[in-house]
Amino acid sequence: MKKTLLLSAAILLTPTWVMAETLKEAFETHRAMYGKDHTFTWQGKEYSTNHPEELEARVEPTQGNATALLELAKAENKKAASVGYEWKLTRGLLKNAEAAIKEGEYQRALNLAAQAKYHARIGIEQHAYAEKNWQLSVPQ
Amino acid sequence: MKIIKTLSLGVGLMAVAQFTTAAGAGNTIETVDPEADRMALQNFYKKRFPDTELDDYVNGIYSVDAASRAQWEELEEFPPYEFAVEEGERLFNEPFANGKTYASCFANDGVGIRQNYPYWNKQEGTVKTLEMEINECREKNGEKPLKWGKGEIARISAYMAWTSRDNVFDIKIPEDDPRALAAYLEGKKFFYSKRGQLNLSCANCHLQGSNVRIRADLPSPALGHVSHFPVFRSKWGELGTLHRRYKGCHKDSRSKPQEMQSDIYRNLEYFQTYMSNGLVVNGPGARK
Ligand code: HEC
Repeated sequence: MKKTLLLSAAILLTPTWVMAETLKEAFETHRAMYGKDHTFTWQGKEYSTNHPEELEARVEPTQGNATALLELAKAENKKAASVGYEWKLTRGLLKNAEAAIKEGEYQRALNLAAQAKYHARIGIEQHAYAEKNWQLSVPQ
Repeated sequence: MKIIKTLSLGVGLMAVAQFTTAAGAGNTIETVDPEADRMALQNFYKKRFPDTELDDYVNGIYSVDAASRAQWEELEEFPPYEFAVEEGERLFNEPFANGKTYASCFANDGVGIRQNYPYWNKQEGTVKTLEMEINECREKNGEKPLKWGKGEIARISAYMAWTSRDNVFDIKIPEDDPRALAAYLEGKKFFYSKRGQLNLSCANCHLQGSNVRIRADLPSPALGHVSHFPVFRSKWGELGTLHRRYKGCHKDSRSKPQEMQSDIYRNLEYFQTYMSNGLVVNGPGARK
């Protein structure tokens, strides 16, 4: 899960870089350098390098908890799909989570569902971002 | 207390090239100006590839990458799509069970009309593509529709493009129906929006990334993108339609792609083909 977004940074198509560090950038930097469960300070406040979904997966690994998180992830992915921003691998993660539940591997199921839910949430954020900013890359 | 903030796109979002200065320039139905868009896109490439003639953009990546051009020219000496065009002609003229042929469904009996597609259909309130009308023709005459991506539909489309070679693209956005301009704008927005796990837009690869090696590939300029479809791709080992390519490229951002001939892909084709107005039909083409 943690590697997925670094890929976009690798594709340096960008002629202009925003200089001031935003919270998002600070998060990405700290996450990349220290991984999860790290705390950093940004503009005087403390933040965690964990994604909310990672915390959601930190519950007792029971069938009930795994199924509940899977359902949330499915619902979130539906939302992403409805705005046209479903990611390529998300359905596979959901399927694997489902299979893990059947096999009684609840922690693995929780982790997979969390990952899928994260994909979906970021897809939805991308859509919102694009709605506001897509025109920034149109040549004038 | 720890404040846990939801964070995400981060770096990826910064990778937008910031071209725009004025807000609201061309991104709303009130301000969008397809002709200005077309000129701006041409100017973008003129600056980027000063040695490439405008007319040459119909040759995709080969218009800007001399190294692969030689290979391609050799390939074109024995065009890999030749047989498919012949087969397309046969299919085009083969009567349906009711005795009619495709010619009965199209203007000018379907000959030399590729440059007019896609077009805005006011009655149906949607963008019509050539492939779509090929299938509608079949259904109207009691035949089953063909699959969208390859096979017969690509061959028939290839033959129809072949009969239209050197005709100039002339896509119109009728002013008497604001929905046409809205469809164009949707297509434009799709092209420039970043998406998928890699947070990439079509423009990231085909404008900022044109002729820049991305993994093993060199993305072509977007100008002239549609002119040579359907295309014989060596990677496919066969002919494929534009929407097959759209699906593949959409997936390249690690998105789940849309369906071929979906509203959004047809709007995208409308936008992209308008951008190529003034260039000639040179389909079918051959690509790596
Ligand atoms: C990761 C980079 C990348 C992204 C994102 C991408 N493409 Fe491509 N595209 C390529 C490459 C590489 C090729 C093959 C080389 C070329 O351009 O012919 C290609 C080929 C094409 C072609 C065929 C060009 C030809 O001459 O035959 C079209 C059309 C196209 N892309 C459209 C799109 C559209 C529309 C999108 C957005 C949905 C898109 N691409 C997104 C990299 C990309």
